[in-house]
Amino acid sequence: MSIENDPVRPGEQWFFYWKTSAALWESKIKQFAPSEIIFIPLYWGLHADQGQWDFGQIQPEKDLKRLTHLLTQHGRKFCWLLPLTPAPFLPNGGVPAQSARNLSLSNNGVSLASIDNENKLHKMYSFFDPKIFQAFSSFLDGFGSFIADNKVKAPTWGVQFSYFERAERVSFFKDSSMIFEQGFSRYLKKSFPEGVQLSQPFEEGKLKNQFLDEVQGLFTSMARETLSPFWAGEKMITVLGSGPQETIERALPSGKSQLKFFKDIFTLYSHNHFFSSVLLNDAEKSQLISTFLPEHFGNEDIEHRYHYQMYPGELGQTFRPFSVVDIFGPDVKLFKENGLLPTLKKALPWTYQVQETLDFTPEGIESGQDRVKFFHATKMDRTRFSQMLKLFLMGQRIVFDKTGLHPDLEKRLQIFFLENNLKLQSVKYLINIQVCELGEGLLICLEGEALKDQPDRKKFWDHIFNYLKIQHPSLVMDDDVFCLWRIRSTAPTELNYLDVRRINLYNPTSYKKQVLVHTQKHFAFLKMIDPSKATAKSTTEGVEVELLPNGKIALDFGHYEERK
Amino acid sequence: MNGLTLLYNFQSPQTTEGDFRPASYKVIYFFSEQGLIEQSTLRELCKSVPDANYNDLTFLNLEDLRVFAQRVSQETESSEVRLMSVLDYNIGLDGAPDREGFLSILSKFGEVLSNAQAKKKGFLGKFFN
Repeated sequence: MSIENDPVRPGEQWFFYWKTSAALWESKIKQFAPSEIIFIPLYWGLHADQGQWDFGQIQPEKDLKRLTHLLTQHGRKFCWLLPLTPAPFLPNGGVPAQSARNLSLSNNGVSLASIDNENKLHKMYSFFDPKIFQAFSSFLDGFGSFIADNKVKAPTWGVQFSYFERAERVSFFKDSSMIFEQGFSRYLKKSFPEGVQLSQPFEEGKLKNQFLDEVQGLFTSMARETLSPFWAGEKMITVLGSGPQETIERALPSGKSQLKFFKDIFTLYSHNHFFSSVLLNDAEKSQLISTFLPEHFGNEDIEHRYHYQMYPGELGQTFRPFSVVDIFGPDVKLFKENGLLPTLKKALPWTYQVQETLDFTPEGIESGQDRVKFFHATKMDRTRFSQMLKLFLMGQRIVFDKTGLHPDLEKRLQIFFLENNLKLQSVKYLINIQVCELGEGLLICLEGEALKDQPDRKKFWDHIFNYLKIQHPSLVMDDDVFCLWRIRSTAPTELNYLDVRRINLYNPTSYKKQVLVHTQKHFAFLKMIDPSKATAKSTTEGVEVELLPNGKIALDFGHYEERK
Repeated sequence: MNGLTLLYNFQSPQTTEGDFRPASYKVIYFFSEQGLIEQSTLRELCKSVPDANYNDLTFLNLEDLRVFAQRVSQETESSEVRLMSVLDYNIGLDGAPDREGFLSILSKFGEVLSNAQAKKKGFLGKFFN
């Protein structure tokens, strides 16, 4: 399966209705697989027409009523994506032409603009311009009336678009332009009528972030309230290739390399962040990306991400994404400092997920039951703290870095141990560790700060992984090889195994690469699938893989020993 | 575009988010047709300019920035280097409708410094990421 790079259907099942004549909508809709949910981003600026909102009353290209009829007629599930920030794939970022007056600036003062898949340059305009807020508010009223009058029951997702630059996700809402500064000045006058002394730039930065959050909140809450019966929630989507640095890179004859896109995608994936490839052109979607994206981020993944489907606790016969570790913390840097992330990256590459939120619903708890959870005490609140302890009581494996734990929570932790009559085992290896077991549950407490300058911290974490009995093939890979694991239950013919794990390996570089998969006495190599520019051979230790440039391969392993 | 392009911003103390700093010229992006030059390379070359902050790639004045640009140009054997302020870049970008128009900004605006010592056109691939 490969991506057909159609500007009207640019990826992730999005439908750009404004990029084709209304006469062609039907045929384009029919090109989506019937099982796929169709996501329709709202190009809200397009519908502005001399002081009113045209949803088809004047121009057929804006006839959303007809569009919804066609979708319903063909039995398609669909939803709207309402931009709550400038949208990098829309002309003027989506705002009406008459409101596009103040270009939005990055922190470095560079105007934000993105190149789309047809090489058009879209400039982003500041959402701090009161004119844009008024126009957006008016659009919401118009769109709300439209869906109510026409009984369109499709849900609407509010979307904050972002870009990825220098390993950070930056919302397109963020702005440093003069119009932002003017708004901030008004905000200060209103919030501090007596005046405020901004003696430290740090204070100013904090207040600016507060102002930004409040204005973003206004856009979001207004959309949520106006469209409340149809509101599905909010998502942040990072649009690949949309950042100011990427605009330069993608414009240059050399373009942005496939390797860099892979790095971005895998970093976003490991942080459980949504991303979209809708800006990428034919050349950028050629080679490995064209097969990799549908293999891992196709319809099923999309449905899970938008919560149209949940994975049950029990494994099914079809493969699902697999990771062995969840990391929770206010800042991923803390896990870099204590050495956990660098060790994970080497030992279990791309099998961990950094989670911003903890899904504490029964389904969420069940589906994450087998993943080891790492928590950090810094800025931890009571709710998260209690949830962590409950997970331990439910039989999960928890590692808790107590660095920065609030004294009240430290007291509660000691009370928890006493109340549950838990015996603590103290171990010293480089640092002091406290281990506590209850049934299947395992809680390891440590002060990770002491590992900061420890040269042997990799060994420390390797020991912890062993103690946690993380059973998973380990990898020795050349740099810049990427992999994703999936898991399924066994078929009747594979009864000897507990589960079957599949690794997909990709080499997006222009060099030959080697990978060794260590099966570690718990896994048996079953077969290889769809090798392309790749070879694999069994050895006594596991499987040796050779990947040529743009090579890919999948390998299946049977897991044959139960965790005790 | 020919040679290298350096996009810089003039920073005043009022706009920084960390500690107070003196006004400076900050390198935002430095690239050629072959892509962006690696930050580690830029930091290394920046060390040859006295008073420059090589971590942040900031320079106390425009002359120091020019010296740095020339140094990179010599190291990469580029025939010229174009210094472009973000103000110029933003003006150009405002009028560019597409990729082609965007690329033309990079050959229209800014100050061009020639590298008379360039032995050949083209660059050493190792400098670009």
